[in-house]
Amino acid sequence: MANRLVEQGKVQVYASTMFDAANDAGGTDEVVSVRNQMEHLRHLIYADMDLSLALKDASYTPMQRHDLAKAVFADCEVALCETLAVMAEEGDVDLLGQVYHAYEEIMADKLKTCVVDVTTVVSLDDSLRQLISAKAEKDLGCKAVLNESIDKSILGGIIMSVNGMRIDASVISQLNRARYVLKETDGGESQ
Amino acid sequence: MKTRARKMAPLAGAFATAMALCPQLAFAAESEEETGGISAIMPDMLEFVPMLVAFIILWIILAKFGWPMFAGMLEKRENTIREALKQSEDAKIESERVLAEYKKQLADAKAEATKVVAEARETGEAVRQSIQDKAQADAQDMIAKARTTIEAEKKAAMAELQASIADTSVDVAAKLIGNDLTEGEHRAIIERYVKEAGSFNG
Repeated sequence: MANRLVEQGKVQVYASTMFDAANDAGGTDEVVSVRNQMEHLRHLIYADMDLSLALKDASYTPMQRHDLAKAVFADCEVALCETLAVMAEEGDVDLLGQVYHAYEEIMADKLKTCVVDVTTVVSLDDSLRQLISAKAEKDLGCKAVLNESIDKSILGGIIMSVNGMRIDASVISQLNRARYVLKETDGGESQ
Repeated sequence: MKTRARKMAPLAGAFATAMALCPQLAFAAESEEETGGISAIMPDMLEFVPMLVAFIILWIILAKFGWPMFAGMLEKRENTIREALKQSEDAKIESERVLAEYKKQLADAKAEATKVVAEARETGEAVRQSIQDKAQADAQDMIAKARTTIEAEKKAAMAELQASIADTSVDVAAKLIGNDLTEGEHRAIIERYVKEAGSFNG
């Protein structure tokens, strides 16, 4: 129990420090940018086992892990880069996922802003951005900032996710549902 | 018969005496008239009388001793024949009784045989019916199992075919959508989906 509370304390410290640094450096845009880069990095670290192990390798000194993290994430926003360096120094890189969610909560709490990850096949135009933002703001009750990405594999439609909530209106998902229905139903043979 | 023979014996003696005397008188009358031919065949009385006496004596002796013996033999013979007839009658009755008994036994045997045959026929019919019923039940069971197997294989084949068709249809649809839609059409789809999508809170 004590470890979990300590862990939550660390997560809150990392998230709030990173938020304050980003907000001080560039306001909402910087905060959103840090959030987007962190969302990308957490997947990258989890996917790259060598990088993940190196960042928490006890055979390295804390300073070596700090320098390694700064070197690896040098192209990221300064607030994110510095925070990751400290986390690597402390051996807390595994907490990045929790830090990400805490960061989003701080964003929504302090800036009344939430980031909506939007995945489409083609780039959005302004009318679609406005439409999606309006829907998110109506549903979530806070200002919506879109984090757009293009993924041809979804074939069409849109996938929207925010704060762990997800709306999958992609064509590939609908085709998969149709495939499932076609396979599972017996065409009335059992009647 | 013995009594009757005894009654007849004196009459026979008197008749014989009369007959013995009458010819003598006739022959005497004739001898007086004719002395030639007839006398040649007539007995000489001097011989005839002793012969008659001897005959009578013999007759008496026979009537006294021979006839009872003869009658006894006849009676004995009669009894023997009567006994034989009686035995024959008894044998006939016995044989008829035995024959009737044999006929009865034969009839009983025939009835028993008929009963056995009928029972055997009934048993055979029951066995035949049992075998037939079992064969029909086995056949029905085999048919049911075969139908179940066929139905299961049919469903499996249908499911496999359905899955194949579904995969093919979806793949074709995916290729058509991925290749043929323009950016404007994609954006139109996105707009429609966003409008039709549910709430983040729901």
